[in-house]
Amino acid sequence: MNMADQQGKTLVRFRNIAIATILVATLVQFLGNVGLFNNYYLHILTVIGINIILVASLNLVNGYLGEFALGHAGFMAVGAYVAALIALKIPLPALVRLPLSLLGGVVAAGVIGYLVGRVTFKTVGDYLAIITLGFNMIIVNAIQNIDYLGGPRGLTAIPKGTNLVTVAVCTVITYWILRNLVDSVYGRMWLCIRENAIAGELIGIDVNKVKNLAFTIAAAFAGLAGGLYAQYQQFITPKSFDYLKTTDILVMLYLGGMGSLSGSILGVVAYTVLMELLRNVLGMVAPQLADLRMLISPLILVLIMLTRQYGLMGNREWRWLLPDRKQAEGGDA
Amino acid sequence: MIATAIQQLLNAAQLGAVYALIALGYTMVYGTIRLINFAHGDIFMLGGFVGFLLVSVIPGLPVAVMIPLAMFITAMIGVMIERVAYRKLRNAQRMSLVITALGVGIFLENLVRILVGPQARQIPAQLPNKVLKLGGGVVITEDKILVILISLALMVILWVFVNRTLIGTAMRAVADNRDAVQLMGVNLNLIIATTFAVGSALAAAGGIFFGQAYSIDPYMGIDLGWKAFIAAVIGGIGSIEGAVIGSFLLAGVEVLTVAYLSSNLKNGIAFGLLIILLLIRPNGIMGRAELKKV
Repeated sequence: MNMADQQGKTLVRFRNIAIATILVATLVQFLGNVGLFNNYYLHILTVIGINIILVASLNLVNGYLGEFALGHAGFMAVGAYVAALIALKIPLPALVRLPLSLLGGVVAAGVIGYLVGRVTFKTVGDYLAIITLGFNMIIVNAIQNIDYLGGPRGLTAIPKGTNLVTVAVCTVITYWILRNLVDSVYGRMWLCIRENAIAGELIGIDVNKVKNLAFTIAAAFAGLAGGLYAQYQQFITPKSFDYLKTTDILVMLYLGGMGSLSGSILGVVAYTVLMELLRNVLGMVAPQLADLRMLISPLILVLIMLTRQYGLMGNREWRWLLPDRKQAEGGDA
Repeated sequence: MIATAIQQLLNAAQLGAVYALIALGYTMVYGTIRLINFAHGDIFMLGGFVGFLLVSVIPGLPVAVMIPLAMFITAMIGVMIERVAYRKLRNAQRMSLVITALGVGIFLENLVRILVGPQARQIPAQLPNKVLKLGGGVVITEDKILVILISLALMVILWVFVNRTLIGTAMRAVADNRDAVQLMGVNLNLIIATTFAVGSALAAAGGIFFGQAYSIDPYMGIDLGWKAFIAAVIGGIGSIEGAVIGSFLLAGVEVLTVAYLSSNLKNGIAFGLLIILLLIRPNGIMGRAELKKV
């Protein structure tokens, strides 16, 4: 029995997992609404979903492309503010408001990402890290100085549009796109650039253009996560998108594993659950100990780097996240 | 008008001196092991707190003892961090090292916050701080002059150390070609440890000066660390002269922005300057272009 047959028969396929995720999310949200499911857990699940979008999109640049971008939270901020403005200022029925505001966030973050990428990819390595971080700080700094956006106080009373179901649907769409992208010819080009950019150039890859494509897509998805976040929390301040947020995303990304979409899920879930467990367990022993988790999270990061450089799932995938080989082979013939 | 300008330049010189003390550590570590030591800003913070603790624990400790002692303690912490967290990754892929440094930085911030609390503190004045009037309304305090002078002296000592001593020569050689240096029988671990020690000691001096002039808190290393790093990059990372020039340049731009535009724009302008400069001179003012070998 070859791989293709196995994939065809097993239930653990991307489509089934996607449908199951959305169904479970709908059920859990419903139970939460009628008071049968703990709202604290509901909140954690929602946050996990938003973070998965953030981490998986950054994985395109930092994992597959092998660059070290440090400004992801900046694009999240762009998405969050644009989505919030659309939701706040344009009177729309709720059903139209959410998709439109999210779309606005995605497009705005993508455009900004494209422009930043044009400038950024003139450099590589450490300088790239610094320039992306610089743009993160400039975006936050700019928002702080614009009164229309609420300045340092941020925007409040954003209509609630996001719940676990929306987040689940968006996460599934994100993964569907990312999974196909990574396996597309562009995905191969990213890997090629990561392994040897000069060789890539020699076989005819327009390195800067292809790099910027990954960066733009990553920024757009960060914008999606931002839009979801804004309409879930219902208030945003520039401070929530600063360098510390970027660091958080990085920790989850590298915990899960570079160049692995499965890793991004695992990293976010493991990190979030661990942090919440530590908060509760340490808090139970003594309330003042709960702070210790802030020490434990960076320690985990350092330990992972010392023992498993590529993260838990580095460059490996769960089978259901691999492309359907049957389709790929059919396409080739 | 001119008096204000001179006053602002004096302020810029003081801030630039602190930036330079931090930037030198970035640039030296980058030179030897090609690592952006993201934890360096937090070592600067740690240095400030070591000074603060020394002053609080031993009242009446003369400043001429306190500063060198704090520098020594911080240097040892810097060496220890290199030994525990960085050494094993020296030959690993470079980004692992950067991420580790990031982790160490967050660890230090939270450690200090948990141990001493998040509030800002001021190191009680140790340096004489009489106000001197320079005429035309320009005033300067004695400690400001001292900070600038001591910093400049430390930079000169560093320059002599790196350019005129055997171990300094070895440091420059490591920056140039690590493998060849080992073949020459140089103890690589010793050289790298020395680099971290010197960088951390300078940062500690910066932390103490900053804590006297303004205040210290567990998160100050993030902001100032980034600024100093920008200064090092503007000057051309890996170059000692460049780090000093970049620091004073950045401080000048920042102080002028606050004085004549708006203090809210300070960070945006600092990073804007960095990005523009990197696009014009990708290797900084004093940096040399690295050859890309196929």
